[in-house]
Amino acid sequence: MVDLIFFLVLLLLGYVFGQRAEKRHFRSIIEREKQLRDILVFSERRIPDEDKLDGTLVCGSVVVSVDFFKRFVANLRNLVGGRVSAYESLLERARREAILRMKEEARRTGAKSVWNIRLETSSIYKGAQQSIGAVEVLAYGTAVKPR
Amino acid sequence: MAEYENPEIPEGINVSPTHPLKDFALLVSGISALIIVAVLALSLLAGQLARHIPFAQERALAASLGRWLPEPPDSAVAKQRQHYLQTLTNRLAGTMALPPEMPITVHYSSSQTVNAMATLGGHIVVFQGLIDTLPSENALAMVLAHEIAHVRHRDPVVAMGRGFAVMLALSSLAGFGDGALQQWLGGVGMLPILSFSRSQEEAADSSALQAVLDLYGHVGDAAAFFEKVAERQSAAYVPTMFNTHPDVDQRIARIREFAARHAKPEQAPATPLRAFLKAA
Repeated sequence: MVDLIFFLVLLLLGYVFGQRAEKRHFRSIIEREKQLRDILVFSERRIPDEDKLDGTLVCGSVVVSVDFFKRFVANLRNLVGGRVSAYESLLERARREAILRMKEEARRTGAKSVWNIRLETSSIYKGAQQSIGAVEVLAYGTAVKPR
Repeated sequence: MAEYENPEIPEGINVSPTHPLKDFALLVSGISALIIVAVLALSLLAGQLARHIPFAQERALAASLGRWLPEPPDSAVAKQRQHYLQTLTNRLAGTMALPPEMPITVHYSSSQTVNAMATLGGHIVVFQGLIDTLPSENALAMVLAHEIAHVRHRDPVVAMGRGFAVMLALSSLAGFGDGALQQWLGGVGMLPILSFSRSQEEAADSSALQAVLDLYGHVGDAAAFFEKVAERQSAAYVPTMFNTHPDVDQRIARIREFAARHAKPEQAPATPLRAFLKAA
């Protein structure tokens, strides 16, 4: 009984704080994306050689932890299958945040565009039972500015 | 790079629009319904299998559970009461065609609980609180015969099998209650889970009525205990024994109907209870 109450409290805490953090994070992501919209991002590997250009490696990485509520819902989802919508929003946040951090670095170097952008995703604590799962997303590319 | 532009992308294209709580509620209700159905099926199956456990094995299991039955009587009057209950039980059991390897052991408890119960290994516990509510030996015989019938129908071992299956299923599913399983095997948690189904109670009632009829030649006072219970229930008091039992009014009606069918012109009077049985 005590275990159950403890579990429900954890679930409630996970839900309340997880949702609050997620909402706040999305607001901040949308805000900063507007500020960094002038930096163009391409997955194209070849940089068009119209001018003399300088390229530097820029990267941005983010680690987001899964809250207790999301983990529980995702574990239930594992039993029956289907879209794990609890994790979808988490990964969406992580990807966009990583690209934003990369763009911020590009802005600091004075670049106007980033080429050959790649995204890497890895899970931290993979396979470790009873530990809080977290996901890392790394975005990197070549920031280009006229010489 | 003037030919490139960065259009604003609509929000939410990579995320399912389900509300997390709706997702949660659907998953929890669906999966718990599935678990309940599976556990129910498992417990019914285990009950069917448990019925085939030899009675000698059931006795050995009951003996290995340690001190879970009432202490043997210490005072002279308690010994006298226990002896009397055992004698009455043996007389009833004689009419009920019990298999030879199925002895019934009665335990007397001086507790004021208004209850009697049949548990594993042919052990029956009778509480003083029950004896105090009964008007005659016939009424006591009805209750005893009811418990003997449970043993003869193998109801305690079936209930144990079901309880064991449920406990095992739940603890292996969720990983919770490993301690509870140990406790259960230790027998501490045994008594509360030995509850019988409605149909088991009805079958025990009809066997008991037949036994009382065979022993006394009539079933007068057989409904007495249930009438007492009905009175008390109207006073908002429900003895623990009746939590799972069929509706008391239905039982009284069934017993009266049986009595009417077997009524004789010259009805023998009910045998009074011995004086030493009632608490001073």
